[in-house]
Amino acid sequence: MASAAKRLEAVPGMPAPQIAFDGVTLVLGGKTIIENLSLGVRPGEFLCIVGASGCGKTTALRLAAGLYQPTNGKVNFDGQPMGEPRREIAIVFQDYGKALLPWRTAAGNVSLALEAGGMPSAERPARIEELLRTVGLPGHAGKYPSEMSGGMQQRLQIARCLAQEPKTLLMDEPFGALDAMTRQGLQDEVLSLVAASGATVIFVTHDLDEAIYLGDRVIGLLPHPGRIGIELSVNLPRPRDQLSTREHPEFLRLRRQLFDFIKATEQ
Amino acid sequence: MNRAALLWRVASFAVAAGFIALWQLIANLKLVSPVFLPGPDRAWASLVRGFSSGDLWSKLAGTLEHMAYGWLAASIAGIAIGAIIGSSRTMRTYVAPSLEFLRPLPVSAIIPVAIAMLGLTQAMALFVISFGAIWPIMLATIHGFGAVEPRLYEVARSLQMSRLAVIFKIALPSASPDILAGMRLSLTVALILSVVCEILAGLDGLGHWVLLSARAFRSADLFAGVILLGITGYVTSVAMSLAEHRLLAWQAAQR
Ligand SMILES: Nc1ncnc2c1ncn2[C@@H]1O[C@H](COP(=O)(O)OP(=O)(O)OP(=O)(O)O)[C@@H](O)[C@H]1O
Ligand SMILES: [Mg+2]
Repeated sequence: MASAAKRLEAVPGMPAPQIAFDGVTLVLGGKTIIENLSLGVRPGEFLCIVGASGCGKTTALRLAAGLYQPTNGKVNFDGQPMGEPRREIAIVFQDYGKALLPWRTAAGNVSLALEAGGMPSAERPARIEELLRTVGLPGHAGKYPSEMSGGMQQRLQIARCLAQEPKTLLMDEPFGALDAMTRQGLQDEVLSLVAASGATVIFVTHDLDEAIYLGDRVIGLLPHPGRIGIELSVNLPRPRDQLSTREHPEFLRLRRQLFDFIKATEQ
Repeated sequence: MNRAALLWRVASFAVAAGFIALWQLIANLKLVSPVFLPGPDRAWASLVRGFSSGDLWSKLAGTLEHMAYGWLAASIAGIAIGAIIGSSRTMRTYVAPSLEFLRPLPVSAIIPVAIAMLGLTQAMALFVISFGAIWPIMLATIHGFGAVEPRLYEVARSLQMSRLAVIFKIALPSASPDILAGMRLSLTVALILSVVCEILAGLDGLGHWVLLSARAFRSADLFAGVILLGITGYVTSVAMSLAEHRLLAWQAAQR
């Protein structure tokens, strides 16, 4: 059996993967959702996962979070078995409306992660303010999530995830429900936040352009059961730029390749 | 909006005033014997007399005390038991249906049992009142705990929150609208049962006052007591609504 972890470790000069799927199969309700998935994500890498609806993207991300345990195979984090979810791995859910506490203000929602991390209450306000400023929500500390727009709520969720000081950030179509302008702004913010923190990212999206724009690597999943169908390295210069990156010949080539792949899976 | 609310308020006062006027009219025309039906004037006079002599104050205090202790005991026990049942899916599926089955059981049916076991005592009153008042709170808590957004539990798992933190920071606040609504319903139940227990066990309170007045054919005193009970029910439920409004300010923002 080919082991992704071992394969990656064997390459000299290549760091050990932070998250490693090793022949992972997941059966839910008698149905094989993911089959024999092997995948290594290097520390600091930005990996994007695309694929048709229902192909198992969310499921793969939940396995990486420890929210599901594989039926077969292993998921390792920093060389250790994943086990239960941990604070080092933060998840940004697509449905930000459900992932925030409606009875806590923006500051209170960020505070939840700091409280869980055991930060003394005297130190929290300054850190909360800093985090809200980082995600572009200064001055909204006292607002309830319901008083915020979708984009602001998603920023707030990202702030809470950053408060976990995660080594890995898992994002499940985080901008799927947002309009194009908001989405582009948030893409750039996520890129700069990730560059600043050095976190490893697994980013699930429906949007092929978004995947190429953000990622170091893009993986396309095939459905029924979920497995890797295509793997593309994105060698586009960083920092990325909404205009020039999207016009780059390499971008257009990758986009073409990915579109052809998705089209083929849909038939 | 505010204007409309004001108009409603005025209209409801007008209706109440109309009823009182009608009552006075019936009493004045002696359509019902004054022995049984005093006019609002006599009931009011008796109310004032009762308060100035201090008798009614102590009766009111007695009833409020029975009500408050029973209700608080019911709230604490109801929330605790409801939380335990509501936070486990197995408990919800297996235990909750039998609770729904037990609930319509009239509390009056257990009063003889309570009297047989505890006698005509304050303990009996406390038991009966809290037993009756626990149901709305417990069932609301079970429902509230069962309806917590599963996503929030996943957030808690990924933050590695302790079980206690999950209960106090996630489940309890999420269930609080249900719990408070249940507590408001229980307030009325607690008042009713306080009066019943006072009548049955002769405990100091408005129930006892009403009973004695009726036996002595002092209809004005009887009505004074009934009016005071009505006011008590109204004021406590308004106070509860205000508390709810404050505690659930975040919900107002949601709409
Ligand atoms: N708990 C579950 N039990 C049974 N089947 C499930 C469960 N969760 C997901 N599935 C199935 O697994 C498949 C993959 O689901 P998943 O949510 O991972 O897809 P996805 O790629 O994220 O789709 P989308 O793009 O629509 O979000 C789907 O066919 C879904 O019906
Ligand atoms: Mg999904």
